[in-house]
Amino acid sequence: MILHCSDLDRALSTPDLMPEMRAHAQQCEACAWQLHVWSEISRVAPELHREWESPLLWQRIAAGLLAEKQAAEKRAVETRLSKAMPAWRWALCTAAVALLAVALFQPWRSWRPRANQPRANQPAGDLMTEAALQEVRQTEVAYVRSIAKLAALAASGLQQSPSPLAAAYREKLLLLDSAIADLQANVENNRYNTYLETELAGLYRAKQKTLQDWIQNANRN
Amino acid sequence: MVGASELALINRLQLLGQTEAEYKTEAELLAACRRRDIRAFEQVYLAHGPRLKSMAYHILGSRPDAEDAVQETFLKLYRGIHGFHGQSSIGTWLCRILINTAYDVARKRQRERAPVGPLVESVARQNHLALNVALDDALRRIHPKHRMVFLLFEVEGLRHAEIAAILEVPEGTSKAWLFEAKKELKQLLMEIPR
Repeated sequence: MILHCSDLDRALSTPDLMPEMRAHAQQCEACAWQLHVWSEISRVAPELHREWESPLLWQRIAAGLLAEKQAAEKRAVETRLSKAMPAWRWALCTAAVALLAVALFQPWRSWRPRANQPRANQPAGDLMTEAALQEVRQTEVAYVRSIAKLAALAASGLQQSPSPLAAAYREKLLLLDSAIADLQANVENNRYNTYLETELAGLYRAKQKTLQDWIQNANRN
Repeated sequence: MVGASELALINRLQLLGQTEAEYKTEAELLAACRRRDIRAFEQVYLAHGPRLKSMAYHILGSRPDAEDAVQETFLKLYRGIHGFHGQSSIGTWLCRILINTAYDVARKRQRERAPVGPLVESVARQNHLALNVALDDALRRIHPKHRMVFLLFEVEGLRHAEIAAILEVPEGTSKAWLFEAKKELKQLLMEIPR
């Protein structure tokens, strides 16, 4: 096959055509120069590889890897801690254990006065009378009612929101409700125990604060 | 922070690494890298470091930047070693990380390459050094993808199969880009007066 100058690119991409192209180049100086440059490119190219001494580079890399390792270990510890129970759950668990202990051992039994029968050596005003108890109950009912209103306000947004924050709030409120129900049952059995009343009030306050936090958070967003 | 004792350990490991390769097969090496064994990473560095430096140099145009890119590449290798399942060789994977890292470094620093002036004109048929310089200069002017294939194949000596794996293109594309690169380079070099 006889090739011409216009066949040069085709020949360069088709090694089988190169012998004919070289034959043509013997008669054509322009093609001979192009073939020369083509082969020189591949011959000279490996010399473009750059090499130089970097005695400190590996030390830098190794130091970086060690720092990365330490950072990863620190992150792992932090992740484990954050996955552990949040502080409010710890507080709630502690309160529940304390309540259980109180309910089991009932330390007030030894000194609990009978209702409406104050001890002779103590003035009647110092003891929790039925009237005082009634007053506490009424206040408590009013307080519970106001919290129920607050809960109704928060309910729609809280139940519908798919966010993890809403889920956390729902879970916390469930736990609080459960603890309140348990405590109320205990209070019914030990109506004169001010400690239980105080604990119950504390749980109601926690519920109130949780609901307020959620409502504020929802308004902000 | 890395303390003095850790740096001493690194030095010791470096000396150990220079004497013999601890992991004989790629699978052993990869397993050791997954265990975060620093010596395994050093073995990878000793095997591939020079090529990585050269490639980074051609992309970034300066030795300090090239070394920074290689360092960053090894950090990425360390972080991502569990995501590498041995679909290709570690060297191929490293090259891919390095190319991406080097381009990221270039973008981040917004390093402007020295304005491309007129092509070096001192090239002559018999002047080998001048051809070397002219080729280096011409390389900066061709299409980046074509340049990358040319660097990997002609300068660093990789095979088309490896280049295809690094650039995630078919092997035929790698061959076609190499041909285009050489055509562009020939054209640029032909413009220089003989």
